[in-house]
Amino acid sequence: MKKVLGIALGVLSAIGGFVDIGDLVANSATGARFDLNLAWVVPFGVIGIIIYAEMSGRVAALCQRPVFDLVRERLGPRFGAGNLVASFFINLLTLTAEIAGVAIAVSLLTSVNYVLLIPFAAVLVWVVCWRLPFNIMEQVFGLMGMALLVFVVAVWKIGPDWGDLASKATHPTVPNGETPFTYAYYAIALFGAAMTPYEVFFFSSGAVEDRWSAADLGENKANVFIGFPLGGVLSLAIMVCASLVLAPRAIDVAQLSQVPLPVASAVGRVGLAFAILGIFAATFGAALETSLSSGYVVAQYLGWPWGKYHPPTRASRFHVVVLASIVVAVLIGLTGVDPVKVTEYSIVLSAAALPLTYFPILVIANDRRYVQDHTNGRFLNAVATLYLIVLVLVAVATIPLMIITKGGA
Amino acid sequence: MSTRSSMRAILLAALMTLVGCVEHRVGPARTADDYDRKARTTASAAISAVETVRFLAELSSAGDSLATFTSVSVSEQEDALAAIRSDFESIQPPGSPSDEVRSQLVGLLDAAVEHVATVRIAARRGQLGELADIGAPLAGDSAALNSFLQALS
Repeated sequence: MKKVLGIALGVLSAIGGFVDIGDLVANSATGARFDLNLAWVVPFGVIGIIIYAEMSGRVAALCQRPVFDLVRERLGPRFGAGNLVASFFINLLTLTAEIAGVAIAVSLLTSVNYVLLIPFAAVLVWVVCWRLPFNIMEQVFGLMGMALLVFVVAVWKIGPDWGDLASKATHPTVPNGETPFTYAYYAIALFGAAMTPYEVFFFSSGAVEDRWSAADLGENKANVFIGFPLGGVLSLAIMVCASLVLAPRAIDVAQLSQVPLPVASAVGRVGLAFAILGIFAATFGAALETSLSSGYVVAQYLGWPWGKYHPPTRASRFHVVVLASIVVAVLIGLTGVDPVKVTEYSIVLSAAALPLTYFPILVIANDRRYVQDHTNGRFLNAVATLYLIVLVLVAVATIPLMIITKGGA
Repeated sequence: MSTRSSMRAILLAALMTLVGCVEHRVGPARTADDYDRKARTTASAAISAVETVRFLAELSSAGDSLATFTSVSVSEQEDALAAIRSDFESIQPPGSPSDEVRSQLVGLLDAAVEHVATVRIAARRGQLGELADIGAPLAGDSAALNSFLQALS
């Protein structure tokens, strides 16, 4: 019974923790601009993150070692170093966006300018990282993120023509007024929002922090095979809300405050309050994950003691990196950079950098020296290899598309 | 490619990305077509901001929004609209035919900014139940911007 409850809690945390500021902005913006013509990217991205996270969790549980440690060992320090710099930079961008997202959520309820709230949000993130046990941190904010289910309620309350929705989602086209380039750019943005590397760094490091072993492989599978698809349903609900409510009004999503407008319209003030709570929880949880991920990637590459399961005095350099990342993110946020633009760039660059960590995990997940008899099956390898090809194509196309479309303008 | 070269490339990409995230003035328009394209982009962005404020005003009057949410969101859209106007005004018209386009659009943007400011003032004064009436001129602003867009297409 305890095991079942533990799995249920893990699944719920995975659902609520799936959505971050990237998913909020990307799904809402594409729904408002492209209707449901990019809806297919969400399940495609969810399958990708399921494969990625399952392999990473399995490798971490069986080796008791996380992603970056193994990447350096298996593929060499040079590849690992390039990977580290790219992943750390993208992580930092994402952390900046998430902390700004927390500040914006609080400002929507307090009327205080969000820029003034950024330092306070950052202090709160750091205090929670420092003081709260790992599993409590994961579960509390994951469960609070379930407040975003209000978007699913909103879709139901709007009462759309389900046949029409299904038809639009399954017959995608490039809408009038858009070009194939902007369509491809936003497809990459959505894909990057679903397959963020920091989630995998956090997931695999968390498996080591929680002392997972072969006995926990079932829980790993439950979290990813049940939790992530349901999290994808949340993402789709956000997109559908935007397409049903914002698109007919010619409203483009350029501020985070526009994301919950459909919920206010369909569910009222209580729904709006839940949506803002969900945005707070999603961005706060993601800020915790990205700040810890910053520490994980650096400490794991350099071979330092890392993680919350060590006393802070033993993992002092890990905690210094976490703190320094938060400070740098705050300084960037205080310059007044547009948080939505930072979010868009971080998710697009995440998509571009994915092959750097995905490929090593695919290699290690097939290496019996690391995973013994639990190597990938043929079907999984076939699908995983297909995704690797897609990721490489995405990585090659990202920067040119960013230039051609002027960042999706 | 050596590790040092890879690091330099990544750091350069990082710097370009951060620069791209900062608000920047719209680039110059060298031809009338270019200028018209920027005018259309500006008008579309302005319509989005105006419609967002209209929507917020309707939600507020219907009791479907929170006071602080309405106040903060309207202020955000006002800032966004002011930035859109400022960016467009900073673009040098390439020739006298574009002067008429500029004059028209700036006039529409001025009206929209004024009406959004009126809604913001009312929201901050707690006149939430009357926001839809106070924001009624925004429908005219939106329609005018849409007509401008269609005329330029």
